[in-house]
Amino acid sequence: MGRKGRDWGPSVRYRKYAVLVSVLLISLLFLSLGTRGGGTGKPGELLAFFITPLQAALSKIQSSAFGAWSAYLDWKNARRENQALREELERLRIQSLQVEDTQRENLRLRRLLALRDRLPLSTLAGEVIAKEWGGWVRSVTVNRGRSDGIVRLTPAIVPEGLLGRVVEVRARAAVIQLLNDPSSAVAVMVQRTRTAGVAEGEPGGAVRLKFMARDGGGAQVGDLIVTSGLGGVFPKGLPVGRVIAVEDKGSALFHYARLHPVADFARVEEVLLLTGQTGADLLPHFSLELLEPGA
Amino acid sequence: MRVSLALMLLGGGLAQTSVAPALRIGAVAPDIPLILTVLLGLKRGPEVGCLSGFAVGLLQDVAAGGFVGAQALTKALVGFVAGLIGERLLVGNPLVQVPGLVLLTLAEGLGRYWLLQLLHFPAAFGEVMLHVVLPQALYNGFLGAAGVLALSVLEAHRSGSLWR
Repeated sequence: MGRKGRDWGPSVRYRKYAVLVSVLLISLLFLSLGTRGGGTGKPGELLAFFITPLQAALSKIQSSAFGAWSAYLDWKNARRENQALREELERLRIQSLQVEDTQRENLRLRRLLALRDRLPLSTLAGEVIAKEWGGWVRSVTVNRGRSDGIVRLTPAIVPEGLLGRVVEVRARAAVIQLLNDPSSAVAVMVQRTRTAGVAEGEPGGAVRLKFMARDGGGAQVGDLIVTSGLGGVFPKGLPVGRVIAVEDKGSALFHYARLHPVADFARVEEVLLLTGQTGADLLPHFSLELLEPGA
Repeated sequence: MRVSLALMLLGGGLAQTSVAPALRIGAVAPDIPLILTVLLGLKRGPEVGCLSGFAVGLLQDVAAGGFVGAQALTKALVGFVAGLIGERLLVGNPLVQVPGLVLLTLAEGLGRYWLLQLLHFPAAFGEVMLHVVLPQALYNGFLGAAGVLALSVLEAHRSGSLWR
């Protein structure tokens, strides 16, 4: 960058000083004219005439640029705020779902506890930890096992009625065979006519009432089916389901009916395991509204 | 080349009343025309420095409504001195340019104060130096460093220099 060593001619060498002196003189002249006139003077006015529009234009450009920058910052802030609000909304949604879930769980547990308090036999509450929902086996696993005193064939109920029975006991878990398991069979009766039969699960997931004697009134659509207490596995009077269709087999010896189970197998999350024994009819201990047709 | 130089001087001279207020930190605004003058003087010699200083100083005088000729005179001197320094020292390094800019801003401040004293400028020397000249010199140094850095990057991307 330095110009050391370059051979400047005498005219070039002195030209810069000539320029300096000229410029200084002009400046002093401007100063002198300005101070004598009491203002910027005519040179100033002449210059101002040309530069004022330029100044205005530059100012406009500058304000536009800063305006655009300000708009960009506003937009960026709005975007950040939008993102924060979206995250907040998402968090509140999750929180709301958690609250709803907790409320539902609370309601379920309250109903289960209320039933436990009403029942005249000892029970143990369990939480569903696994579900098997294939066509071959339909079962749920609860977090109660041998260490809790659970034994094989212990009945499992929900606030609406019978769920199934324990078919396998492990140290800290038990597998409950559901009513609609294809290998499940429960001795039941029509609550209205006391006609006995067997409720069996089907591979399709339905529950069927079989071997119901033709004589004695049989069953009608809407009838409540409860456990009969025969066989010694289930106490008497546990709601099983409602008749939704009666199949006429002509002159066959028995009636058949399709049932709508009272328990919602797909959504069950907590169960009561009936660890005690009783000979009493348990039906009066279940909520009446749950036993109403269409409930 | 001359057109671009003229436009640069015009823009730099007028930027002081339009852009510089937007760049102020507290009460301190940079002296953009002075930065331009010093950098031009360092890069292109005393003649260009002197004429550039005179032109932007004159524009500033008129635009700001002060004594016409005061800043033209001081900036012309500063541009000339910057040009002389540029002839005798290796000033391509920003580490030389930026402190040079700070020192020349201080010198311009002193010169302007002395000149204005002749015209009965009322402010006290200490106050002017403490509140105006010194902070502005530091700000000019900072802004000049940013400008030099930006120009270095720009020059690296271009084969021809804007200054030569």
